[in-house]
This record gives sequence, structure tokens and C-alpha cells, in this order.
Amino acid sequence: MPREILRLGIVARSHPPATVWGGRVLRPVAVLPVPAPLAAGTVMSDIEGVQTVYLGDHALMLHHGETAHYLMNLGAARPSVWVSLDGARVHLVTPDPFEGEALAGDPERVVEAVAMPPEVCAAVAAFVAAHHAPEPFEKRKRKPASITEADPRAPRILAPDQKWGAR
Amino acid sequence: MHRIEDATDPADTGAFIAEQDVLRAQHWAGLARLMVAPPDAATLQALAAVTADDTPLGQAWGALGARAAVADPAAIGQEFFELFVGVGRGELLPYASFYLTGFLNERPLAELRRDLGALGIERAAGRHDPEDHIATLCEVMAGIASGGFVASGLGCGGAGEAGFFARHIEPWAAQFFEDLAQAPSADFYRAVAEVGALWIGIETRAFAMARAGAAAPRAAAGGRIH
Repeated sequence: MPREILRLGIVARSHPPATVWGGRVLRPVAVLPVPAPLAAGTVMSDIEGVQTVYLGDHALMLHHGETAHYLMNLGAARPSVWVSLDGARVHLVTPDPFEGEALAGDPERVVEAVAMPPEVCAAVAAFVAAHHAPEPFEKRKRKPASITEADPRAPRILAPDQKWGAR
Repeated sequence: MHRIEDATDPADTGAFIAEQDVLRAQHWAGLARLMVAPPDAATLQALAAVTADDTPLGQAWGALGARAAVADPAAIGQEFFELFVGVGRGELLPYASFYLTGFLNERPLAELRRDLGALGIERAAGRHDPEDHIATLCEVMAGIASGGFVASGLGCGGAGEAGFFARHIEPWAAQFFEDLAQAPSADFYRAVAEVGALWIGIETRAFAMARAGAAAPRAAAGGRIH
């Protein structure tokens, strides 16, 4: 199965809480096409309480079965990468809009669509060009039975190539 | 209730049985023995001792005896497995329901069970094949011929036996033995198939002749009324 794994650096930002009872919530803001030489959890900047944190690098997997979804993503006004966080831990990074939006249905989870860097766009486009197999839509319809179709009954004499071990 | 396993023993009936019916019972019982399980060394020895006469059936039994004299019980066991057991299914499905409808456990099996119930026959403990297996039907025919089973529950006189044969064996058994002769793994069982096909043909013609003989006087009587 053709697949390709890119390593991306994940950057998240948290704002100071609006009330004394609230806590900080990290939200992804960017992915770096080349992981930065920083430890995960490094605070990159702190401007008036707005912290930008580097969460380390994470895999982005391209799978040949999802190339149609990648094409939709690349055809959008702004191609995106969906990043999902569990607290300060990166849960999933995907360029598949359907997978990302499915994760966004969980209110307990932080999911953001961040801009896809041009280098990642080029890698995804190259993967799609290499592995995309168009699947034409076929409307299935009920049709009357025909005598030319195969007999549903089992053969009276089982041929040697129909035996279990032969397949 | 009779049990199928002791059906083929004519000694316990005490009733007079015509000689040809004893011989018919032996034919049916022999076929049943060969179809229910692969023959062991003693059975093969008994088969090898069969003397053949000039009739086609005698020649077929002689050919089977000659094969049995040189056969290896383990090889026949493997052949039986390939033919009737198999992985998933064997090469053949020796069931009346499959031959008559294309599927197992269909209406022919239900009709057979109704008739077996009328005869007072039930499946022996430890036998898991449906009753429409060819070996079971041969055992029932052997039991009826030897007097161990009484077919009068199905019809008067010979009609019960003829009716049982016509309903449950005649429609498909000849086709089954033809298939057995053609099955890719059949070697020893090809000789069994020859015997079986000839025997089914003889029984079919004999029951047809008996039916024609019984119908003729009635037709003559009917002619006189008009």
C-alpha cells in the first residue's frame, strides 16, 4: 500500500484566561514544513501573556486511498492541515478534510485547520499525482434477474480448482 | 422405534422372506455399507471374495471385488474424504435434497422425514448426516426388503416399498451414481458407482414392471364396466 510520511513541526498559542477561574487552552496556529530544533513544550514567545509554544514534531501520513480527499483540500481557497490536540499533546495531523472535520465533532477535543505551507502542498500534490486512481461514480440500480447470470446453486461435482486448498 | 443401525439384520423378523428379497436386501446393505464410511480391511476382504457371473450386475460386482483385492484401506479412506467430506465440502453432496432442489435440507428432506416417521424409523444416535443421505436411504431399502422395516404404513402390500423408492431414491440416485463415476478423486468408488448405477436401474425397472402388472387387471376390469 503506497503511503508517505512527512514530519511537521506543530506550533500552538494560548491566551491568558479571561477570568480567574479559567485556564489556558492551547490552540494550533501553524505547522512548520521542517521541524524546528527545539524541545517539545518550548515557549517560543510570550507577548503580553499570549504564549506561542512549540509542541514538537508529528507525523503527517498520506495514504493512497484518500487521494480524492487531498484533491478537494488542494482545490480549496486555502489548503489546510487539520491539527488535533489533547491538552499539550498532539493527537493527529492530517491533510484529509473529512478526517479532520470528523474529529471536530468532539467538543472535548481541540481541532484547528491551519494553513498548509507551500512545501507541504507540493509534497501532497506530488503524492496525489503519483497515486491517484479516479473512481467513476456508478449509480447502482435494481435490475431483473437474467438466465445468463451464474447459477446460484453449488456445482454437483466440485472441480479440483474449486477446492479450498486451490484458492 | 427401529434404529437404522440394526435395520439390516433379517434374523430378528421371524417372517418368511422370499429369497430374492434377501438378495435385494444384501445388495442394498452392501451399497449402504460402502457409502456410509470407507470400507475397512475385513469389508475389503469380503468384497474380494465375491464371485462374478455373466450378467452386467455380476460383472460390476466382480470388477469391484477385483479392485477391493488390491486396494489399500488408507488410500480408500483418503478417497472417501475427498469425495464426501472434504474441506468446506466434498466433491459430491450425496443428499436427495441437494440433487432435487439444488440446496441442502430442503423440502425433499422434510417429505422423507414424514415417511420415515410413518415407518417408525429414526436416526441412530451419533449419526449427524441428514436422513436424505444415500447411505441412509439404502439402509432403509435394505430394511424394508429384509422385513426389518414394515412399509405398510406407506401403502398396502408392495406399494409402500415401491412408493418409498419412487419418491425418495428413483428421482436422483441414478444421477448421483453417474456423478460419482465422474468425480475427479473417484478411483475405488468408480467401481462402486458402476454397481450402484446398475442396481438403481434394475430396481427402477423391477418396480415399474410390478406396477404395470398390478395395473393391468384393474384396467381390464374397468373395460368391462363400460
